[in-house]
Amino acid sequence: MISAYYFGAISLILIGLYAILVKKNVLKMLIGLSIMETGVNLLLVSVGYISGRSAPILSEGIGPNQAVDPIPQALVLTAIVIGVATTAMALSVAMIIYEKYGTLNVEEIRRLRG
Amino acid sequence: MNGQYASLLIALPLISAFFVPLIKGLGKKAVKYYLVLITALQTGIAAWVFQEVYTTGKPIIVMAGAWRPPVGINLYIGHFAALFVLIVAVVSFLMAVFSIRAISVDPIDKYAMLFLLVMLGATGMIATGDIFNLFVFMEITAISAYALTAYNKTGEAAEASIKYIILGGIGSSFFLIGIALIYGSLGTLNMAQIAQLAGGMDATVAQVGLALIVFGLAVEAELFPLNAWAPDAYQAAPHPITAMFSAFVVKAGLYALARILYLMQAVSSWHSVLKLLIIMATLTVFVAEFAALRQKNVKRMIAYSSIAQIGLIGLAFALGTQSGVDAGVFHMVNHAIVKALLFLAVGHVAVSLGGAEMEKFEGLGKRMPLTAFAITVGAIAAVGIPLFNVFWSKLRILLATLGAGYSWAAAVVLIASVVEAVYYFRLIHTMWFAGEGERISEGLAVSLMLLFLAALVIVIGVYPDYAWSIAQKAGNDIFNVADYIKNVPLMGVGA
Amino acid sequence: MLKRALAIITLLIIGYWLAQGLAGVPFGEDRMLVAQYYLDHVKEQTGAVNTVTAVVVNYRGFDTLGEVTVLFIASTGVGALLWRKKRERTAKTEGSIVLTTGTRLLAPFIMLFGAYIFIHGHLTPGGGFPGGATIATAFLLLYMAFTVYEIPHKTFEKVEGAVGMAYVLVGLIGLAIGGYFLYDWIWQDWGFGVDNVGRLLSGGFIPVIYTIIGLKVGTELSGIIDNMLKEEVSE
Repeated sequence: MISAYYFGAISLILIGLYAILVKKNVLKMLIGLSIMETGVNLLLVSVGYISGRSAPILSEGIGPNQAVDPIPQALVLTAIVIGVATTAMALSVAMIIYEKYGTLNVEEIRRLRG
Repeated sequence: MNGQYASLLIALPLISAFFVPLIKGLGKKAVKYYLVLITALQTGIAAWVFQEVYTTGKPIIVMAGAWRPPVGINLYIGHFAALFVLIVAVVSFLMAVFSIRAISVDPIDKYAMLFLLVMLGATGMIATGDIFNLFVFMEITAISAYALTAYNKTGEAAEASIKYIILGGIGSSFFLIGIALIYGSLGTLNMAQIAQLAGGMDATVAQVGLALIVFGLAVEAELFPLNAWAPDAYQAAPHPITAMFSAFVVKAGLYALARILYLMQAVSSWHSVLKLLIIMATLTVFVAEFAALRQKNVKRMIAYSSIAQIGLIGLAFALGTQSGVDAGVFHMVNHAIVKALLFLAVGHVAVSLGGAEMEKFEGLGKRMPLTAFAITVGAIAAVGIPLFNVFWSKLRILLATLGAGYSWAAAVVLIASVVEAVYYFRLIHTMWFAGEGERISEGLAVSLMLLFLAALVIVIGVYPDYAWSIAQKAGNDIFNVADYIKNVPLMGVGA
Repeated sequence: MLKRALAIITLLIIGYWLAQGLAGVPFGEDRMLVAQYYLDHVKEQTGAVNTVTAVVVNYRGFDTLGEVTVLFIASTGVGALLWRKKRERTAKTEGSIVLTTGTRLLAPFIMLFGAYIFIHGHLTPGGGFPGGATIATAFLLLYMAFTVYEIPHKTFEKVEGAVGMAYVLVGLIGLAIGGYFLYDWIWQDWGFGVDNVGRLLSGGFIPVIYTIIGLKVGTELSGIIDNMLKEEVSE
């Protein structure tokens, strides 16, 4: 059976995707994107987890064989920063959209079509 | 010189981008010329790397921090990367020169930084030998592209950008899940080691992981159905940036797609992923060509044409044969030249006449004869008329497609080419045989660049052999994974 | 309604498909390959006890350089998109007494704590990014509490560029001394702090780079906040 962590990660990804596909407000879509990124990060960390071991900081009592996989944690650190950067960019673009169109509803701002 | 100095390809644009805030007090002009200077330097380094790789025939492996792969991250500058890093640098240089005239929206200093970082991101994507590092460089390219798309700060630009951000965000999440699956089952992120171990991978994991990566990269590589952002972004972005998108940003995505695809060719479910990609690529060609037919705005029309050509390259890569990959690489080179030429010329018209709508092109042959000539050369080449460069690569892609047994895909491509001919000849007709106008000044620098690119189109068209031999070497670099593994000095971790 | 139903069906298919893939990557099993090498050699090769930061800064230093660049792009991009001829803060309500007093009291300590986090990156969980983010929260508090407060954004922009260059320079010095970009010459060549593993003065160039990153992230995030809070005013 699938583990609770994987289940949680996949659920977060799907919830995020649902928000992106269905919601009409740009901000809600961006929140969906962030939720999806969180899900992916959770997935990465849980892929690196090893039962019964602790954080990979090698101090008293934690040798190389008592630590979990450090690489996914390093990757998640990078992924989080990238997520923050994307969100910041997206929010400033959303600010311009609101300034120009006076709305954040995607159905009302779709002028470039075809 | 030591091959490790090839890391300057990454270090130079970075340090120069960080330097911009310190010199922005010197004024707008200074920043623009600084941009030209840096891209010229980058072209110099790239030319050195190209010459080094093609004379020795050995790839340059840059090991960051002296850690041997797979422990550290390595850059793999083989025949393909050397060629494309050079193309990236040359196109960036030309567009930096064009920016002097074409960019008037403030703040120029930020534009210069983002410009350099797009160049850096594409260079890194092409050069890297580590799958997660590829993701990081992809995001560098993508996020600076988001910012540059919206740079004009109009409503349309912001809308295009938000579309791009949302699709790009979904794509990068999918890509990351793919990485998680591959890392989870192999325990390594180095591309050469992934290729080495791929044979022993669980078939389902490999299929799901690879498909996720294909979907993730398809956003950057503009494959249907994830390319909805592309026409809007191409149209709304500043003109030099559009040329860069078409000439190398999308190519970097395609290359990454092809590289990862061929690295994993040992997995048992490989062919099902190839089939998926062939369908996506053929649909891209078909949908984009018919969409181009309906366009009133020339820039947008060429954007659709560019997407269709990209689909063609994607098709060539998805065939899974040596001849397909070689033809695809050849088409990438030709397409980069032709689309740089076309977007440069159209951007030039738009800057001079204040827009890129079809009406603005009436009588262009009388108003701006040189630019009109350049667009004509580009258009004829893009359609695939003999004695122009695209003809050779299109022909080879068609032959490779037939050779791999996909005659239906070849038929779709042929139909699409006819459609392409219709709208390009309509454009040529509008330029030369409709409307009147006064002659206006065309500017020396842009004219020289247009002539240079047009000459390149014709020279490769008449003497394709040299370019073809380079493309073959570069294609072999992607296709021949055994050599790739052998060239990376893996230390025996785990395996 | 139909759209929602379609979306839900698509999502369930994707979810099932992902679960299929993940079934081949069982949870909680030891599948380390390269990671085991890191865990075994991290102390002697980098001088850090926190394996994650050693991986982030040293073994996979290229990623981190890229990561710093991504944040730099975000701050540049936000600056480019929200650029207007003249912009000012337009907030009208001053923060409540609790907020203002609390901010006055806490802001210096928050910054100090941020600095602590990034200086101890090679020993404890954290590092340059969390440290820098903590510092930025101090500025955010200041913005929320006082309507007139503004960061000196010209200086911040210059600091941002300068520390970014410093990072690349550290890498280039490595190229000059050791022949490899981002080579950790402080640990590998000088052997600085070899007897000190597990204490502050060790870890090669990790603390140096994390200080750079901490300053950079702090200034960048504060710059983003500054850009987003200001609005265009007519001259």
